[in-house]
Amino acid sequence: MAKPRELRRRIKSVQNTRKITKTMELVATSKLKRAQDRVVAARPYAAALAEVIGDLYSPELAERFPLLRQPKDGTAGSRRVALLLITSNRGLCGAFNANLIREARHRIDALEGEGATVALHIVGKKGIAFFKFAKRPIASQRTDIGDKPTAAHATELVGPLMAQFAAGSLDAVEVVFAQFRSAVSTPPTTLPVLPIAPPGAGEGERGRAGAVNYILKPSAEAILEQLLPLYVRNQVYRALVETAAAFLGAQRTAMKNATDNAGDIIELLQRTYNRARQAQITQEIAEIVGGAEALKG
Amino acid sequence: MHVTVISPERGVFDGAADAVVAPAFDGQVGILPGHAPFMTLLGKGVLTVQVGGGGSGSNRFEVAGGFLQVVGDAVRVVADQVQTL
Repeated sequence: MAKPRELRRRIKSVQNTRKITKTMELVATSKLKRAQDRVVAARPYAAALAEVIGDLYSPELAERFPLLRQPKDGTAGSRRVALLLITSNRGLCGAFNANLIREARHRIDALEGEGATVALHIVGKKGIAFFKFAKRPIASQRTDIGDKPTAAHATELVGPLMAQFAAGSLDAVEVVFAQFRSAVSTPPTTLPVLPIAPPGAGEGERGRAGAVNYILKPSAEAILEQLLPLYVRNQVYRALVETAAAFLGAQRTAMKNATDNAGDIIELLQRTYNRARQAQITQEIAEIVGGAEALKG
Repeated sequence: MHVTVISPERGVFDGAADAVVAPAFDGQVGILPGHAPFMTLLGKGVLTVQVGGGGSGSNRFEVAGGFLQVVGDAVRVVADQVQTL
């Protein structure tokens, strides 16, 4: 049986670990609250943009805008795709980054299987570290986007991609990010950003019928031209915000599990320790009694 | 009339107002209650939302990009960049 002193040392060590994980859990919980508020606060803008673009969109106009250009069927073999993978800078969040990376790899494999060339753009240290290790060339990377992504970050990220797409040197842009359904459900998701799938196009009837007869200045076309880039940026912004919130959710869950686990281990060690201590005392008494008996004899 | 000012990050203003003066792409536009359905691009400049007549309470924002939409009795300002003044 392990020595009581050894056990005491281990109990101390696990207690310290539990203190750390407990603190991280609390920190993640409070940050999650704010991150969640940001996700919710970003919704009205996205909804407003989508609604207006849906109102103004018509298939005849689509031909004129590079950002709406749909891929031609014949060119499927040589498509050039930019994949933007959003991961976190930090770990201790369970399988969060592993799931995102797996989703990205599946997507890359699928695209390359079709003969497309994929340029990889990565946000977050974890994704970068993995693809560096896998010796895959990374087209661009950045690690300076933390818990609080801003619209400006999204603009910097997707701006060059939009320019390339408009110039015709890219055929599609997709984003792999963690969708924030709730703090515990954050499935990794692939979102095609470019070419733009016109919002509300699926609803068809409602969008058309609901459209008000606006006075438009300067013209539907000019407004659409200005708003489409905003829409693309906003989609990337939302991906960033949702991933940030999802990361904190995953971290909180991971730290809660770690804290609970540490508790279980401490309980087990404490039991073992008590038994070892009891055994030692019993043995000492037995020895003393034995010694006294021997003296009497 | 009901006015909302929305930035990509959050809703900045949401409430009743008496008048809106916005920097459209080609100059200032003033919106009063009962305006016809209207949509315009925004330029860069100061957006003023007047609450409680006579300019006693007005909210001013620095905005750039985005659009302004008037439907029914609601004005919606969706701007790419918004800064409260």
